[in-house]
Amino acid sequence: MEGLWNNIDYAASVVLFLIGLYAVIAKGNLVKKLMGLNVMETAVFAFVMATGIVTGGDAPILGAGAHEPFANPLPQALILTGIVVALSTTALALSLIIRIYERHGTIESEDLWGVE
Amino acid sequence: MAGGQWPAVLVISPLVGAALCLIVGRWAPRAVGYFALGVFTLVSVAAGFITYTVSAVGSFSYHMGGWQPPWGIELRFDEFSVSIAVICLVGWLALMFSLHYVNHAVPEPRIPYYYALFLLCLGGMNGFAVTGDVFNMFVFLEILSLSGYALVAITGERIAELAAFKYLVMGAVSSLTILFGIGFLYALTGSLNMTDIAQRLSSVEPFPTGVAVAALTLGFCVKAALFPLHVWLPDAHAIAPSPVSAVLSGLVVKIGVLGMLRMYQVLYSARTFDLGALNTALMWLGAISIVMGAFFAMVQEDIKMMLAYSTISNIGYIFMGLGLASTFGIIGATVHIFNHAIIKATLFLGAGALIYQTGYRDLRDLRGIAKAMPVTSACIAVGAVSIVGIPPTAGFLCKWYIALGAIEAGRIFFAITLLFGALLIFVYYIRMLNAFYFTPATHPHLLQVGEVPMTMLIPIVILAVLCLVMGIFGRIPLSFIEPAVIEMLAPVGG
Repeated sequence: MEGLWNNIDYAASVVLFLIGLYAVIAKGNLVKKLMGLNVMETAVFAFVMATGIVTGGDAPILGAGAHEPFANPLPQALILTGIVVALSTTALALSLIIRIYERHGTIESEDLWGVE
Repeated sequence: MAGGQWPAVLVISPLVGAALCLIVGRWAPRAVGYFALGVFTLVSVAAGFITYTVSAVGSFSYHMGGWQPPWGIELRFDEFSVSIAVICLVGWLALMFSLHYVNHAVPEPRIPYYYALFLLCLGGMNGFAVTGDVFNMFVFLEILSLSGYALVAITGERIAELAAFKYLVMGAVSSLTILFGIGFLYALTGSLNMTDIAQRLSSVEPFPTGVAVAALTLGFCVKAALFPLHVWLPDAHAIAPSPVSAVLSGLVVKIGVLGMLRMYQVLYSARTFDLGALNTALMWLGAISIVMGAFFAMVQEDIKMMLAYSTISNIGYIFMGLGLASTFGIIGATVHIFNHAIIKATLFLGAGALIYQTGYRDLRDLRGIAKAMPVTSACIAVGAVSIVGIPPTAGFLCKWYIALGAIEAGRIFFAITLLFGALLIFVYYIRMLNAFYFTPATHPHLLQVGEVPMTMLIPIVILAVLCLVMGIFGRIPLSFIEPAVIEMLAPVGG
């Protein structure tokens, strides 16, 4: 139990990931599926960010008053890229949903099975 | 440094070219296709030089911006990176095929976007194949996947957006599991460079490594459309414009396999992680993919749908070869990545040519088409014979090697599955050829259509000839990849 408590941030992101996955699989509405996807993205981002935390760490910028230990800046740089990717995925998915709605008049996947 | 600055040209020029496509499209919409083809010719020249360098002096690495690894991004050129040669070959021919085809398949205002996305997709694949940095790999994976989703939707056909959305959701989930795996590896080892990770993994416990491996495997298997994670593939590949189908089916699904190969490279050189369970799982899923893909393909009447299901079968062959973990099996699997790309591109471009001339895509409507389009039909026949694996074509050699690998690993059952799968594939391709050659035409007016324009016919013919040549001179890629595979397997006693 103590191991879990010490790694509560990792455990939380795994739970968040599974909540998102549930929404992607179980929800019929395409927008809700997409929101589930966004929750999953946030979970992975939170997980990677958590790996960069150093207890009592300072911002990794050299200059007056900078003292060791430093927090790891690399995960932040990675996740910045990840956010850009997530943004473009979401934008593309939303525009596809708009087109689907224009054409078929619905975004519920039960109703859309008929047209395939 | 070996290879000069060509590695940078290889990775950067398609990305810059894609942006320029949109500008060129603004003032000269007719010239976009030729511009994209020009850009990609430059990329192919770079790929040619690099392939030549790798075969002449062996593998080398290029440091982006002069930063030394493990801090900078390393581009690694080894025997597996030479997949850029087949990416460029198939990509270039598909672009040439597009010149005429898009006018018919893609709405006019979207044509510059089509070429821009096409270049992005090909550039992303090149980058993925050569990068030695796991996060960089994720970025390239997203570049090629996102442009792939958009390319599926670009025709604006009735269910194109739905197919693209389905592809996007599964693709994005798999990308996230891959990112999770990469983040986990980083948390374990503190490095993003593959060589560095491999060294540091030796001091990591097997259980956390297993979590990262499971996440990466799951992600790459969705990208590669291994049964039962294939549900996005048939619609997406069938609905996309034919040159895009050729690229998606021939190359993009192989990116998942290539990702697996990279992961295997790291794990084999780390030596600490037992791959037995993973290999068994891949082997079984591969065998199930072969049979299920073939059964689904058998009941399809839509020619492109049939080809899409056939891709699932062939991915099964590749994964089975990987999972066997014997030298012959992995050699067969790697060479099948190359050969299947060429064969499937022949078939999809051929199908595209038939659809372009006749407007029909149902096998029942296309009966007797061989009389009207003899060259295209002959090329499709060569592709079909090749994918079944009848000697002396390209498909035979790799399937033979995978079968030898199964026997080498003492898994006779899998060798039998492989033969059974080839038989099933034979059945549905015979059905297609029978419709083209030996059945009277359903629509007699189809017999009046001629061959497609030269820019479409030449790529199909080149690819069909390659299907034969790769079979006859198949020793060359085999002997090229063999040392790399033996070296990779060496620590575990291959």
